[in-house]
Amino acid sequence: MNDFLQQFLIESRELVTQGTEGLLLVEQSPGNADLLDTVFRAFHTLKGGAGIVEFAAMEHAVHAAEELLVEVRSGRRTLDARLVGDALACLDLVTAWLDTLERTGALPENVDAGQASPPSGVPAADWTAALFSRNSGVLHRAVTAIRFVADRDCFYQGEDPIARMSALPRLLSLDLEPVLAWPALGELDPYSCNLILTALTSASPGDVTAHMQGHSGRCEIVAVAAAGVPRIEEELPMNVRKLLEEQLAVLDADKVQRLAGRIASVSRTTANAMRFCGRDDQAERLGNALGSDEEAGRRLRSSITQLLASGSAAPAMRAESSPAVETVARTLRVDAARIDSLVRLTGELTVAKNGIGHTARLAHANGDAVAGLLKEHHLVLDRLIGQLQSSAIAMRVLPLRSVFQRFPRVMREMASSLGKPVKLEIEGEDTEADKTIVEMLFEPLLHIVRNAIDHGVEDANERLKAGKPAVATIHLRAARAADQVLIEVTDDGGGIDLERVAEVATRRGLATEANLRMMSEADIIDLIFAPGFSTAARITEISGRGVGMDTVRTAVENMGGRVSIASRRGHGTTVSFALPFSVMMTQVMTVESGGQVFGIPVDAVVETVRIASEDIAGVGEARVIVHRNRTVPIIELGTVLDGSQQRETSAETHAMVVIVAVAGQSVGIRVDRPGERMEVILKPLDGLLSGTPGIAGTTLLGDGRILLVLDIVEILQ
Amino acid sequence: MTVRLTDRGEILLEDTCPSEDAEILLQKLSADPDAPVDLRACEFAHTAVIQVLMAAMPKVLGPPAGLALRDWVYPILARRSVSD
Repeated sequence: MNDFLQQFLIESRELVTQGTEGLLLVEQSPGNADLLDTVFRAFHTLKGGAGIVEFAAMEHAVHAAEELLVEVRSGRRTLDARLVGDALACLDLVTAWLDTLERTGALPENVDAGQASPPSGVPAADWTAALFSRNSGVLHRAVTAIRFVADRDCFYQGEDPIARMSALPRLLSLDLEPVLAWPALGELDPYSCNLILTALTSASPGDVTAHMQGHSGRCEIVAVAAAGVPRIEEELPMNVRKLLEEQLAVLDADKVQRLAGRIASVSRTTANAMRFCGRDDQAERLGNALGSDEEAGRRLRSSITQLLASGSAAPAMRAESSPAVETVARTLRVDAARIDSLVRLTGELTVAKNGIGHTARLAHANGDAVAGLLKEHHLVLDRLIGQLQSSAIAMRVLPLRSVFQRFPRVMREMASSLGKPVKLEIEGEDTEADKTIVEMLFEPLLHIVRNAIDHGVEDANERLKAGKPAVATIHLRAARAADQVLIEVTDDGGGIDLERVAEVATRRGLATEANLRMMSEADIIDLIFAPGFSTAARITEISGRGVGMDTVRTAVENMGGRVSIASRRGHGTTVSFALPFSVMMTQVMTVESGGQVFGIPVDAVVETVRIASEDIAGVGEARVIVHRNRTVPIIELGTVLDGSQQRETSAETHAMVVIVAVAGQSVGIRVDRPGERMEVILKPLDGLLSGTPGIAGTTLLGDGRILLVLDIVEILQ
Repeated sequence: MTVRLTDRGEILLEDTCPSEDAEILLQKLSADPDAPVDLRACEFAHTAVIQVLMAAMPKVLGPPAGLALRDWVYPILARRSVSD
């Protein structure tokens, strides 16, 4: 199965779960609009996914259900049990298809959304049904059902499926069946595993999952209760009932003292009694869930009462029926929020480590004997925390393939609707980038590709006249360069028509003829990114929907990156994104101004210059310098951040100015002195400070001072 | 040698049979498909070996010495050899 289908499979399963849970909840509270929205979104996204992988039957099936939900949302239809049933049936159908996809690695063929029965291929539930009927004798004790289809070549990976399965904790039954009917002995390959192993155990799905860890094959672990099997419990024998009644009496005894002792004794006796009845799982739960206070006593009492009342399963003590657990060897899906909190914690560790470094320097300055030791430990910590941090950040990393893979299909449609034959070449899809960036990248890239086909690529005739192949090529490239990820979209079209850009910019009031004359070619091309700029002579369906290149620039800058264009008339255009590898880490340069330390994101820094004070000229209220033949306005940090007075520049003979640039706009920030370069994990401002303009976030310095990191984009505004 | 032919023409599995025994067992069963397989001295056998038994369906002599083999695998092999 390719990664794309794999992704579709994982996402669809999540959405089915989400939809099923939501449907069941919304059935309980039909008026809850939020729940209904959640369900609707799940169906909608499922449909979208099916569309992307071109699975028409699923798209139709889910669409039909979605239509019903739309009617419910708009109040044209009431949500009743039948509707919920139909929607759930639709999800079951999807699940069966997904099972087929998982088993065969390909989308099910010849299936029709209209068919009532699930498609060919055995739905997951079937094996459990067969397993249960074969083992009805032990079913009442079964908690977990397992089906393990070992890989054909698993013996070479050291797997011994029968040994593994027969060592399952609390095994109740084990069945072996061939995957394909056994061949004649002469044709048998004894080292190709051809077995399906199914088992029932009274251990929990969690224990079973742990036992199956690292298996080589496909393993399904299903909670028996969740598979819809009512647990048939035998009546409790009379002597056990008597024993349990006695235990209630012990708990109820009117002595407040020694409650803890009584609880312990009663729970142990009850657990043993359950074990005697073969109800190991209940025994385990009775033994585990314990405290020594009155609340624990009450819980134990109600558990025993329930055992007595039902004579069967004790519903309140049953573990939450866990959904089918799919174990996938060697991968673990973790909530991104947990990884983020891990990354943040390593950030805190870095701060703590820097504190030790500072202490070591202080100790050294004081001639303290421990200074050397402290420094040594600091170095070890520095190395280890550095490794920890890069491992934590690497967990957030995804290959760009997941984004790039969506383009061939999109391109095909765009090219055919515009009647321009285009081929796409992708390079470097294995390049990795932060999850957030990978997820945010699709829209801006799509915009660039649309523009390239729509505005960049000429008609086939025009191309032939220019001596180019009729089929245009668009290259989508990604590469990692140091701590940046570079992405380029190159077309071999007509390039950007500078005169036309200038003309449009003038017409839209984005530039005057006078300042256009002053501009370099690059500056003129840059006008494309100005809000409100669009050179499309006509509004096409593909691009030109009033969303311009300015949104692309905004999107890329929001990711902490930069976008640039290079173009040669007649030869084509390249749009490049330079994105940070990790959004969690920010490279900053520290500067001091008015006794306070500030951080400036290194991305924005162009250069640091030392100029004579008299070179700072006043233009009205503002101050400017002329640097490399350009006028650069100078700002004082204090003025920007709190509106305090500008300092008297005349007192100093020289000034340090850090020149920063964002979106082609430069500004000089006057500082007392530049500091060091460091990697920090930014904490957003919260509490009273939240919303302070010009500050992107904070981090702690080694000496305990707070570093305010400037938001250059906001400062330039 | 954990797989060998006895004087009585039975195939004897002894102790713990590693996966390599699958090939040997397959050869012996191919040579004489009617030879009974004696599992009574067998502690455990690798899945590859048991697969050969499942495919060949010989008459098996048991129960085996090893508990896991006796409780979980032998009933399946015995059932097959009896029913067929």
